[in-house]
Amino acid sequence: MQKIIEQLINGLTVGSFYALIALGYTMVYGVLSMINFAHGDIFMVGAYFGCFTITQLSKSGFAESNPALAIIYTFAAGALGAALTGVTVERLAYRPLRKASRLSTLISAIGTSIFLEEFVRLVPKFGSMISSIHFGEQYIFPASWRSAIVKVTQTFGGAMVKAYPGILGTEGIKLGGVSISYSRILIMAVAIVFMVLLYLLVRFTKLGKAMRAVSEDKETASLMGINVNRIISSTFFIGSALAGIAGVMMGIFYLQIRTTMGFTPGIKAFTAAVVGGIGNIPGAMLGGYLLGLAEVISVQFLPAVYKDIVAFAILIVMLIVKPTGILGGSGGKNKL
Amino acid sequence: MKNKNRLTTKLDQRLLRTVLPALISVIILSIPLFNFPQQNLWIRIIGYAGLYIILGLGLLVHVGLAGMFDLGFAAFYAIGAYTCAFLASPHFNIHLPFLVVILIAGVLAALVGSLICIPVLKLRGDYLGIVTLGFGEIVRMLLMNLTDITNGSQGIIQIDKPIILGLNFSNGKYFYYFIFALVALLLFLLNRVINSRTGRAWLAMREDEDVAQMSGIDTSKYKILAFAIGAFIGGLGGAIFASWQGSIFPDNFNMNVSINILCVIILGGLGNQMGVILGAMALIALPDILRGFSDYRMIIFGLLLIIMMILRPQGFLPRKAPKFEENSSGLPDTKKEVQS
Repeated sequence: MQKIIEQLINGLTVGSFYALIALGYTMVYGVLSMINFAHGDIFMVGAYFGCFTITQLSKSGFAESNPALAIIYTFAAGALGAALTGVTVERLAYRPLRKASRLSTLISAIGTSIFLEEFVRLVPKFGSMISSIHFGEQYIFPASWRSAIVKVTQTFGGAMVKAYPGILGTEGIKLGGVSISYSRILIMAVAIVFMVLLYLLVRFTKLGKAMRAVSEDKETASLMGINVNRIISSTFFIGSALAGIAGVMMGIFYLQIRTTMGFTPGIKAFTAAVVGGIGNIPGAMLGGYLLGLAEVISVQFLPAVYKDIVAFAILIVMLIVKPTGILGGSGGKNKL
Repeated sequence: MKNKNRLTTKLDQRLLRTVLPALISVIILSIPLFNFPQQNLWIRIIGYAGLYIILGLGLLVHVGLAGMFDLGFAAFYAIGAYTCAFLASPHFNIHLPFLVVILIAGVLAALVGSLICIPVLKLRGDYLGIVTLGFGEIVRMLLMNLTDITNGSQGIIQIDKPIILGLNFSNGKYFYYFIFALVALLLFLLNRVINSRTGRAWLAMREDEDVAQMSGIDTSKYKILAFAIGAFIGGLGGAIFASWQGSIFPDNFNMNVSINILCVIILGGLGNQMGVILGAMALIALPDILRGFSDYRMIIFGLLLIIMMILRPQGFLPRKAPKFEENSSGLPDTKKEVQS
């Protein structure tokens, strides 16, 4: 029994990642009807921003004396970094292609995905390149700046696997024989808080209303005085911020990050979005948790290596049986 | 202005029909003949591009001709490669002749292709892409984890080098010529198919599936046929890859391969065989040409994909629109086909 509960908690933890990433897929699909292939990499960028922040904070000793604030700053940095990346990507790589065919947008997204991965990997190189720009003998940056640039870029990215400083350790609480680590509690709590916030935002604010209108019909929405481009940018901002939060969570949970970490969670989160009904926000949350639980259950019966296969099999069966997903409508319009 | 346009299109067409193919084939055929520095490297690079032309032609049948979005083409490539590895290596101690093996590889891939196609006949557009993506990943993971049969991530090594007509293919030049002979054969056959009843059925299906069905086209049949033919070509490519390389590993068939093949046909201009050749040359040879910038080549490649899509989304050589076709963008108008 204890084991089962522990496994369920594991499933909910992993499901929290999937749900948060799936929300980004589903929101973008809602407003643009496109699969944002680079979403997994935006998630990765968020993890790197978080990693940079927490590394600096623990170096300066701030994280020791003030762990709660340090965690908040880390999440904020991850969310903001990912959100700005997402908005930039939309502006530069997707907006010019809004009228083009679906395949062109997809290729552009694939290009973006390659670019982001490589960019994070090459950041230290760019850093040393920028710091060594000079005319004759004269460097354009003063010496102190130059070493700072090199240091910052080296802490931020690079080809090596980055270790996430473990702020929460492996301790946890015991509830009737079931031990739950603090990091799991944090992850589940943060995920739920942000999902509730998102739901409230989409349901009850003016911005949310505008987003729903845009996902219903872009042209009519713009005739009603909604600035469609601004709404799409906001959608990317919010979706990417959630992915960034998920990235920080993943770092806290697995204690290491790498530039290729976005691929598998990205595809699985996409599965989650489809299972819940793509374009449907509560659906993405539901799909994420269901997928997390399904993986944990499958590990009970099959060797652990098959859990990815189970995820994809669920995806395929779902698409064949009910392509609109659990909470999706009867086809046709995709609703946020 | 209009006149000039017509002139340039005429010129374009003539270039496309005669000069360009002739020039490309002369260059390709002459590479192994002359001695120049790093010749073996170039034979490898261009031969590899040739392999991607074959794969691109296979995927072209799925995406470009039948309008079925496929993100898991590497699965068929993998099936072909592993069939070859099983039937011509010390792994199971079976050593069949290469021409038999490559045919079996193609047929097996075609069989799997048509089987996977049957349950997804109703899906369109993106959804089909996702199912095939999932299928591709499942195949790769099975290869990785069915260690008793596939040897897992250790891969299969020491695959036989073919001997055809007494020529021992351990010499890379023969493989090179074999690949391009196959490319020529496939181009010829595909051309025949495109201009046949089947090709016209595909065209109708791609433009508007509902209308095609109402005009009496058995769309299920033609979809399965398209998937089988494309998968067959993918299987051939896999067998060539396995015996050329001599050893294969599951990671040779990850999703990046599917995406690369898709990029080949989209960069070249969807639905155009000559475009596939240009696309493959650009996509496969480019990272090698950029080797001078070794560390930056992938980031440049990613940027080029984005810029290319923004500046010329129809590809290098867009499909020329038949006279009765209204949508002349060169790309199938998949916007309409969100879901069934």
